[in-house]
Amino acid sequence: MNEFVETLLDLPWQADHAPKAAYDVVIIGGGGHGLATAYYLATRHGITNVAVLDASYIGAGNTGRNTTIIRANYGIPESVAFYRHSLHMYADLEAETGCWIMHANRPQLWMAHSVSTARTEQARALMNEACGVPSRFIGPDECAEIVPQLDLTGGGRYPIHGASFHPEAATARHDRVAWAYAQGALRRGVHIWQHTPVVDLLRSGDRVTGVQTAAGPIRAGTVLSAVGGNVTTVAGWAGVRLPIRTHALQAFVTNAYAQEFPGVVSSNDLVFYVSQGPRGQFLMGAEFDRYASYQQATSYTYVQSVARKAITVLPFLAKARILRGWTGICDVSTDFSPILGDTGVDGFLLSTGWGTWGFKAIPAAGEQLALRIATGATPALIAPFGLDRFAKEAAMADPSSAGTR
Amino acid sequence: MSEPTLHYDGDELPIADGDTVALVALRAGQHPAHGGTLCLSGDCGNCVADVDGVPWIRTCQQPATPGMTVRRHPAASAPPTTSPCAPAEVTVRHTHADVVVVGAGESGRAAAAAGRAAGQAVTVFDATDGAEVMAMFAGPQLVVRHRRATVTETTIEQVHAHRVVLATGAAELQPVCPGDRLEGLYTPKAAAAVVAAGIDLGRTVTLLPHHPPAPASSVEEQNATSASVPPQNGGVREWVGLVGRGSSGAVGGVALADGSVVPADSVIVDLGRSPRDLLARMAPGVPVEIVGPAAVAHPLPDPPVAGMVCPCSKVIVEDLDGVWAKGFRELELVKRAALCGTGTCQGTVCNPHLRAFVAARSGSTPEPFTGRPAARPISLAEAAAGYEVEVLRRTPLHDEHVAAGATLDRFGGWYRPWNYGDVEAEYWAVRNDVSIGDVSTLGKMLVSGPDAVELLERLYPNHVHDIRIGRSRYVINLNERGHILDDGMICREGETRFLLTWTSGGASVAEMWVRDWVETWGLRVHVLDRTVSHGAINVTGPKAAALLARLGIGGGELPRFLEHRHLTIAGIPCHVMRLSFTGEASFELHHQIDRSVELWQALLHHGADLGIRPHGLQALFGLRLEKGHIIVAQDTELDSSPRRVNMDWAVKLDKADFLGRAALIRTAGLPDERRLFGLTMAGPAPLEGSVVRQQADGEVVGHVTSSWWSPLLDRTVLLGWQKRAPHTDRVWIDGRPADVAPTPFYDPEGRRARG
Repeated sequence: MNEFVETLLDLPWQADHAPKAAYDVVIIGGGGHGLATAYYLATRHGITNVAVLDASYIGAGNTGRNTTIIRANYGIPESVAFYRHSLHMYADLEAETGCWIMHANRPQLWMAHSVSTARTEQARALMNEACGVPSRFIGPDECAEIVPQLDLTGGGRYPIHGASFHPEAATARHDRVAWAYAQGALRRGVHIWQHTPVVDLLRSGDRVTGVQTAAGPIRAGTVLSAVGGNVTTVAGWAGVRLPIRTHALQAFVTNAYAQEFPGVVSSNDLVFYVSQGPRGQFLMGAEFDRYASYQQATSYTYVQSVARKAITVLPFLAKARILRGWTGICDVSTDFSPILGDTGVDGFLLSTGWGTWGFKAIPAAGEQLALRIATGATPALIAPFGLDRFAKEAAMADPSSAGTR
Repeated sequence: MSEPTLHYDGDELPIADGDTVALVALRAGQHPAHGGTLCLSGDCGNCVADVDGVPWIRTCQQPATPGMTVRRHPAASAPPTTSPCAPAEVTVRHTHADVVVVGAGESGRAAAAAGRAAGQAVTVFDATDGAEVMAMFAGPQLVVRHRRATVTETTIEQVHAHRVVLATGAAELQPVCPGDRLEGLYTPKAAAAVVAAGIDLGRTVTLLPHHPPAPASSVEEQNATSASVPPQNGGVREWVGLVGRGSSGAVGGVALADGSVVPADSVIVDLGRSPRDLLARMAPGVPVEIVGPAAVAHPLPDPPVAGMVCPCSKVIVEDLDGVWAKGFRELELVKRAALCGTGTCQGTVCNPHLRAFVAARSGSTPEPFTGRPAARPISLAEAAAGYEVEVLRRTPLHDEHVAAGATLDRFGGWYRPWNYGDVEAEYWAVRNDVSIGDVSTLGKMLVSGPDAVELLERLYPNHVHDIRIGRSRYVINLNERGHILDDGMICREGETRFLLTWTSGGASVAEMWVRDWVETWGLRVHVLDRTVSHGAINVTGPKAAALLARLGIGGGELPRFLEHRHLTIAGIPCHVMRLSFTGEASFELHHQIDRSVELWQALLHHGADLGIRPHGLQALFGLRLEKGHIIVAQDTELDSSPRRVNMDWAVKLDKADFLGRAALIRTAGLPDERRLFGLTMAGPAPLEGSVVRQQADGEVVGHVTSSWWSPLLDRTVLLGWQKRAPHTDRVWIDGRPADVAPTPFYDPEGRRARG
């Protein structure tokens, strides 16, 4: 009856009633990142003696609380290469898994409303074009051709000087990405244990040897933390300190409207973005809350601010009605780039620092971490994003991920 | 006088006094939308339509006014945003209350009376009085919409309360059964409202639950009695669904288990209730007292067998069965896989049925799913009303710039002149004659007190104690990681009195940053931010001194390079700082903003025959680039240490302590391949942001941060990163070679700035 009801994939849960005493790999966190890693361990490396543990249901955390934008137009070559790979993997994911993740090309306009931000967007386009992500800076007229609803005067205060244009950007249904990976992993024998919170790590000498769950210990050759929102606690159990602060990121959708909006519109100056989902809802977000917090609460000030920003450049949205707000809990590193792989503690790996940009990274990060777990060697694509970069004064400061997006 | 009407999908329908839009449709024998049970209480989404160009209006909550245009949404798709509508007119008000009571029913009135008796300020909102509580947030803060005559006119009240009492009552359950999308189905309250409006329901049949539950409490019982419509068919028989009257879409009767049909023109569905507690569920952690029927644990309906579970998202029982069979075996997974409960009614209709579905299959009854703001959709116009993103500041000279034809642009929250129409002329005025620039946006901060030197020694990596009174020094700020935050000048005015300047972009955070450290360190200093109370005009160029001489300042009075003095210029008290960002002799005249225009005009007037003209930022950025001066946040990155931008000279590691010192010492021995280079090339300036390669077809190793074709040097000068060693003397930008060159590109000995 509803064309968007999930009908293709199933979740063939393991027959066991309780986790085994030991697995080769235990992944803490059954969100997109944890499930993708399990999937690629199973499909690329034949490693299936793997358990994914989640404190709630799969996809309950940030995977189910984001704004589903997939783009590659970051600010430094290392990031562009990584997200470009992820963008391409996303484009192939439906074919690979046989699932419908509602992947849809949604070209992105990243608007500038001043000379200085036009310069920034120009730089973004130049960097990405040079790194193999088709991008160009377009003027106001071309912006209006692509998104006719734009008010080029920006309400008189934020005139549109142009935009960096990223034609390959896309969106996908967040839950379905998690489920597609879960299905693929479960089919190959991976165990996924929902409602199994991890309360501590098992350690032997300097090694992490497993996890302590609320129901008992599980030993593991390798433990990967793929949690969102509580990573400093989990890493702390291993004695690993992280340069991470956790902030709330809010977003909301409106009621559904006819499909009229062709892409993702972001604003550099105003710091917000809007896209229209496959069900017709307008989805809007902005930067994460400035103060650190673990609270999954929406604030009216945030709603007001995004509403004001949106109708400043897209006045047709004034009549759209805000339906539902939600909040994700984002682990933000000091350089706004992810932290991937080794931690300096044997047996304990990390996938974190996903801030507000984790959804788009799910395929690439899962694939690369699986490669790291399977081979013991850090792949080149994620080597720049190791935790040790901070001590080595080699941070990956990426101005294009900071704040929003 | 003709009777009032409104347009309903092309029909002219008469309006009776007091009608809502939904009642107008019903009076004309039409369903306000596309079928389905009507609650006429704002709970469900079965009556939504486009009213006067605004889709998703609950017509049961919207008063009808003559001339309104109502359009049903398309039956099978979402409504367009393109119908014309009047601009929103939203009035905002902020109020406070000791107690907010939501719902003016019996329990609400009792709660309000109790509050008032205790001497508390009580505010009561009730949707039936036109005050819809749209959402609740932490605070508690409630957002209330007061309806007015049209859909685009509203008053939004933001209420800040100490205590919230929800007396919202219970929503009436809707049927999930074959035929549940027919027209002519009413909850008991809706039926009562229709009858009260004088609309004939014809023959009615009442559906009761198959297994009537015991009354949950006396409150529930009382409430149920007051709202119920007596059954008309005289007796209870087992029903299985509803049948239509031909293909009209209207209900024709109730199908019974024995295959017979009880004919009916209207069916009243009296199937029980569910607490109307969505507001409480959307603000976790906010203490809310729930009273009356909203607090009652109403029994769940029978598990749905067939029919529409979620009318908003059009999810049917088979959809739930399908996802359950595929392994989605808890409430949240079913909800997300079937996309159930996320529409206009926010699960008010489907939550009980979905819970009953999951309970029947899993053996345990799940909690209702989380509420999400808003309980009733708020338009973006309503939310935005009364909120501004930022205050764009204007300098005291704004009108002068506008009158001079400047192109103004936003920089760091200020409107600033980008150029005055002729960048090259502005450039040559600085290099050859004299020019003035509005630098009022600079951060300006007075720091004084016994610990002023101590504070500044800790804040800045350069020495402060040895700056002589009357002298200035260029300084950078570092964060604890040893990365550059900002730069500016320190002017020493006395033993314990300093004037600091900051970049325009950094000024807004500088004051908080300084005060934070003052408090952290417990130092005895006064901090006074003068960014907006003082303007500043930079007089720059080889004829700058001559111009100031005409305004009464003798040659001996002018400060020398990196000195500052208090002088009266054109009768205006000025704090004059001699420095140079442009590369020419420059005097920054800081003064109180009420004299800015007078000073600006005097300078222009007396400099006319010297070739004076004002310069904008565009020329300034080129002028400073010729001198190799960085702009923080343009030429630096989030993690730029002084070493990376060749500014170790501004850092004195021999100082006992300063912010960032520990980090710089720790990282000093680490290899660091990232460097900012001065570059020159022939031909036009490449775009800022162009990538830098070490070979013509090599990998990207950095980007150009600043780029300017120098009219004087007749070549392009640039700053750009090489982030990979070995660094090369020649790099490639835009397919053209560029060569590493020492900075400053212009007047490396600094003779002109001192001259």
